[in-house]
Amino acid sequence: MANADYQGAIEDWGTSARRWRTVSAYLKRNPSLVVGAILLLILAAVAIGGQAFIDYRDAAPLSNRPSRPPGADYPLGTDKFGRDLLAILVYGTFLTGKVGLVAGFLGVVIGAVLGFLAGFFRGITDTLISLFTDVLLTIPPLLVLVVIATNIPGKLDTDQMAIIISLLAWRQPTRQIRAQVLIMREAGYVKTAHLGGTSRLGIVFKELMPNLIPYLMASFVLAVATAMLASVGLEALGLGPQNEPTLGMTIYWVMLEGAFTTGLWWWWSTPLIALITLFVGLYLVSAGLDELANPRTRRRGA
Amino acid sequence: MKDGGVMKGLSVTDLRVEFYTDDGIVKAVDGVDFTVRPGVRTGFVGESGSGKTTTALALMGMIEPPGRVVSGQADLDGLDILSLTEEEFRQQRLATVSYIPQGAMNSLNPVARIETQILDGMADHGHHLRGSEAADRVAELLAQVDLPPNVGRMYPHELSGGMKQRACIAISIALGPRLLIADEPTSALDVITQRRVMETLGKVQETIGSSLILIGHDMGLMAQFVDEMMVMRDGKVVEHGDVADIFGSPEHAYTRQLIDAVPSLQRKPAAAPISSPRQDRPTDTPLLELDNVGKTYRKGRSRIEALKPLSFRLDGNKPRVIAVVGQSGSGKTTLGSLVLGFETVTQGTVRFDGENILRPGKDATSRFRREVQAIFQDPYASYNPFYKVDHVLSVPLRNFGVARGREEALGHMVEACHSVGLEPAQTIHRYAHQMSGGQRQRLMVGRAIMLKPRLLVADEPVSMVDASLRSIILGNLATMKAELGASVIYITHDLATAYEVADYVLVLHKGRVVEAGVPETVIGDPRHPYTKLLVDSIPWPDPNRHWGAGGTLDEEFAAVAQADLSEPTIIRDEVAGFQLGQGWTG
Repeated sequence: MANADYQGAIEDWGTSARRWRTVSAYLKRNPSLVVGAILLLILAAVAIGGQAFIDYRDAAPLSNRPSRPPGADYPLGTDKFGRDLLAILVYGTFLTGKVGLVAGFLGVVIGAVLGFLAGFFRGITDTLISLFTDVLLTIPPLLVLVVIATNIPGKLDTDQMAIIISLLAWRQPTRQIRAQVLIMREAGYVKTAHLGGTSRLGIVFKELMPNLIPYLMASFVLAVATAMLASVGLEALGLGPQNEPTLGMTIYWVMLEGAFTTGLWWWWSTPLIALITLFVGLYLVSAGLDELANPRTRRRGA
Repeated sequence: MKDGGVMKGLSVTDLRVEFYTDDGIVKAVDGVDFTVRPGVRTGFVGESGSGKTTTALALMGMIEPPGRVVSGQADLDGLDILSLTEEEFRQQRLATVSYIPQGAMNSLNPVARIETQILDGMADHGHHLRGSEAADRVAELLAQVDLPPNVGRMYPHELSGGMKQRACIAISIALGPRLLIADEPTSALDVITQRRVMETLGKVQETIGSSLILIGHDMGLMAQFVDEMMVMRDGKVVEHGDVADIFGSPEHAYTRQLIDAVPSLQRKPAAAPISSPRQDRPTDTPLLELDNVGKTYRKGRSRIEALKPLSFRLDGNKPRVIAVVGQSGSGKTTLGSLVLGFETVTQGTVRFDGENILRPGKDATSRFRREVQAIFQDPYASYNPFYKVDHVLSVPLRNFGVARGREEALGHMVEACHSVGLEPAQTIHRYAHQMSGGQRQRLMVGRAIMLKPRLLVADEPVSMVDASLRSIILGNLATMKAELGASVIYITHDLATAYEVADYVLVLHKGRVVEAGVPETVIGDPRHPYTKLLVDSIPWPDPNRHWGAGGTLDEEFAAVAQADLSEPTIIRDEVAGFQLGQGWTG
């Protein structure tokens, strides 16, 4: 029956068993969140767990015999420079993921602070923050990033890469969170909470924040995806860290050495599959979080 | 199009509409037969879920999957409209049958001028007008709905709710349909605006000579407006006949029940005996005291005086229900917000239990918060969508230290549900969006009862619920006064409900109290022109008592405009425990 999850017994109200049943019933109704999370967890397991078995040095040039097809010695083959593609899969996914997570996290934290300030205090604070954000939103990010990346002296590493990308990753989160705070501060339930004796700080953290968390998570996922896309884009142009085997740099070498025409299919297919899994997983999680953020769009029934 | 011009009206036989849902087949309309004669106004009455709107949508060919018209004929002047294909139906809409949906005024396109929207509707059905011809037609239609011609150049946000609703009527009659269906056309409007819109609708219907179906749950409105009435319940017709006959001698118990649900001057419930006053506090301190309280909003250079200085005192030992009545913009909601401390006064002082609520003493804040509760108009907005509905109950229990531990809290919550007739097992594990509007509002009332406040501010608590639920909720308010000794500030635009529950009525007009007294005198024999206008606009559930006994709407508006706004409040009589005054300082 449609109403199974709230009909029946109420004696268990507030117990942990009840909460667990609510959570599991919810996950059944939101398959894209579950599938997306599983894809990302598999990639994380490969990228983190794999480091226990695979040596980082195998991902460096000249460490193995070059251009070997997949086989017993090299499960995923090696590239023209003698890098083991299994090691690239493990460390490249890890490094690309790290760039995306760090840049996305910085972007959302900056965005949440700016968005909350603008939405909560309004007035001149809001005008300045919104103007600044709007102007920056009109500039194509890759253009700015190319200019910055080409002007960094010396060799880039992935940490610098993450910081460069986070310089522009806060724009969308700022706007999204500002809009949400503006709507929510006028909501009727803020009044109800006030009447229920909840303090001002309590209203911010217990009433507004929980409603904001799905938006924060969704915009974090979106910011991570955007940051990874930007990093892969920069690296594919050859503007990334030259000495680290990220997925984007691997794509750059693939294009530079013409792996498509020389028949080294395992060279380009490995980073490509990793990137596709990554982006599909991020998309599904983001769609699932959207459903969580908007309970009204929830389908009824168990 | 005019096939011989036979005017036989609409005759519907064996209409059945079914909805295919996860829980099985729902027979929304279950074998309905009726006729609507040409030029006659028929009312479809019933509560939500009775099938009245579904019947109308079937006549418009607007039943969407999972719904389906299973059987039936609907003969409108010789044309079986239910047998039409989708494209044929599209051509008939507006030209033959026209539908004004519920909340039509909110479906106007916000970025198009009214004239564009009128002409678009006509062009969609093959009538392309240009230049002066178009301008003339728009002006003519606007004149028919009593709107000035310049409204055509305006955008929806520049119009009031009543004007928007009349613009919707203009769109729907643009092609002179033979059947007009209006679905609760005034549900969100106050009584005066409602009267104006209904008068316009009636005049227009007579001008174009169409039949009219009015869908609604308000028996008072039906008595004032329609000729025949069809009462529906669970998809079936319960009773159909002449309005005077049905109100005179309703055959069916359900019809009787609907009529009785309308508050009426003749049926004032006997005042419930007031049980012993609360002894937990010295009773000589006034419960609530407004001392020259005023509120002015500033927007740029302009100042809007929402509430002119007002003083009153509500005693602590005699619970009273004080009704504050007025239209939107009268300042009644501002008054409620000031009492609740949601807005700050621009002058004067609000004292609760002797303490200024803006500068309370040490433990006065939490006492104020706990002892003053509120119920608002929109029950959906009052629930945080992140939490299940138990949140609104458990949070105050914890914050105010009412319940210690899970089991005690649960006990209070179960009691709160029972006090308003909700089944706890089907309530507390739900989200607000999983409950009906009526259930949400009942739970908010249950929450107020559970917290046992000494003062309750009820801001239009029943304007969004069905008639039968309205009397239940008003009954709950009366119970709170009688059993819990709580005083209630009941804010409404509806004098009839105020009559039913209030001990004292303040009529608010443009931010000032124009008339005050006990309901019997203020509503029974109004003196101020504005109160007269309000009373005359109540749709009484009695076909013999017509709207506008005190003159036409325009005459009454003129009288209100002439009334001197600086005149002192007309105080009709007094009630023990409540004093209206001119400031209490010193």
